[in-house]
Amino acid sequence: MTNTWALCALWVGLALAATLLAIWFKISTALSEIVVGTVAQLVIGVFLTGLFGFAQGGLAGNTQWITFLAGTGAIVLTFLAGAELDPVIFKTKWREASVIGLAGFFGPFLGCTAIAHYVLHWAIMPSWLCGVALSTTSVAVVYSVMLELGFNVTEYGKAILAACFINDLGTVIALGLIFSPFTIKTLIFVVVSIVVFVVLPFLTPRFFKKYGGRVSELEAKYLLFFLFAMGGLAVWAGSEAVLPAYMIGMVLAGTVGKDHSLIRRLRTLTFGLLTPFYFIRAGSFVSVPALMAAPVTLLVLFGAKSLCKAVAVYPAVRVHKYDGKAGAYYTLMMSTGLTFGTISALFGLNHQIITQAQYSYIVGTVIASAVIPTMIANSFFLPRHLLPRTKASQKAEQSIQRPIPAEEG
Amino acid sequence: MGSPVFVGIQRILVAFDASPHAEHALDVALSMAGDSKAKLFVVAVIRPPEPAESAEFNAVLEDGRERYERSFAPLRERAKQKNIDLETDIVLGHPAEQIIHKADTIQASLIVMGKRSHTILHRWMLGSNSERVLRYAQCPVMIVH
Repeated sequence: MTNTWALCALWVGLALAATLLAIWFKISTALSEIVVGTVAQLVIGVFLTGLFGFAQGGLAGNTQWITFLAGTGAIVLTFLAGAELDPVIFKTKWREASVIGLAGFFGPFLGCTAIAHYVLHWAIMPSWLCGVALSTTSVAVVYSVMLELGFNVTEYGKAILAACFINDLGTVIALGLIFSPFTIKTLIFVVVSIVVFVVLPFLTPRFFKKYGGRVSELEAKYLLFFLFAMGGLAVWAGSEAVLPAYMIGMVLAGTVGKDHSLIRRLRTLTFGLLTPFYFIRAGSFVSVPALMAAPVTLLVLFGAKSLCKAVAVYPAVRVHKYDGKAGAYYTLMMSTGLTFGTISALFGLNHQIITQAQYSYIVGTVIASAVIPTMIANSFFLPRHLLPRTKASQKAEQSIQRPIPAEEG
Repeated sequence: MGSPVFVGIQRILVAFDASPHAEHALDVALSMAGDSKAKLFVVAVIRPPEPAESAEFNAVLEDGRERYERSFAPLRERAKQKNIDLETDIVLGHPAEQIIHKADTIQASLIVMGKRSHTILHRWMLGSNSERVLRYAQCPVMIVH
């Protein structure tokens, strides 16, 4: 790599192309960036390597500054995901959310690990990583479907959302602790983390009130300082930087999470610069030849994730009296996942826990799990009786036997 | 009494996306509502990216809500001046599905919407919302060009 600015232009150009594709095809920018990263790596790696002196090794995704920007993207994205927790909902639904969320985590975590190890014959550490990556759920996917169907205001919808946070918390804790050697460093990391998580919700609003609201963007620097400092401590202890980022997001959800102006500025930084590098980089490591060589592996992992989620979540849902279609819908919604799945897979690849082929299968499964369950759930398992009844809809239901006036037919 | 042309039209639903075509459809609907004394419902649909990603999804949602609320403010003023009963709503989902669902919920007598000119590729990949509404709605649909 000889030309930083040319390489940067290439990556930002790809991000621009991915955004345009996302706008045209109404898909999420993250998904578009992963796909563009995969295709660009394939095309540049095969046809353009060596041209202009910047494309050695395809997109050069392991260049230090790209790794930094992508890593920062993952940290800030994880923080924002944690900050979206609604503490009020969580407080009212924590028992139900904990049971279902933990079932949603442990079922696929243990089940996918077992299937990767005993069916696909992966070694034990790649199998554990596979279990972690496929144990996730996507709060955003669930929330968007909730809003679309009006479930977000029902008790049923609130419980699902709270359970998703517990599920993802299980994933980041597993990712942060399973692959790290338990030493005195781990103990220091855990103790410091607990102190920081307790102090931050008290310190942050007071600090922002006294010094915030200026053009120097003190709030963003303050948050980035804690995210980087705790990320550094996590890596020093052999853990993963996204674990404290998610926890900081959750503990600040009731304060910073409600400051829409600040969250919006962080989003601009995240979407404008950081996450394109993260998702394109994540996509660039997907090996298309590996996927084409063994598509059955992809099917096995997708089937494993869906089956394990169903087996674990459905009984837990039924215990809370969501049976029939409502229970099935709940289960399917919990089967989705994108952000934490790719973060886990990339962690495994970066730490040489999994091979590039295994990474490709896991990311492929994560993408499929974000798209397919939502489509199935909306097509076959919509529990319409749980939708909030408006006065208009009640009136419409009461008058359903009324003959349709000529001008309305 | 309303104009003889519009007798029986009690609830008009306008699908609004803040485009010039939707503005034109809104003008037509306002005129019809004024003549027929019908109640006017305006629905704006925010379409989330799929699959949704946490930060992006919330950004799309907030941006859409603010944009449509800004568009609704002068509209409410216009309806008030013409003494038209107006109700606005912002929903999330696929535009055609949500428009049809809203029409069913309010028992709309008529749906009015603008027609956007899409490329052949766009229509082939994603379809046309106005065509879908026209095909599946349970009430008359007016497409304003």
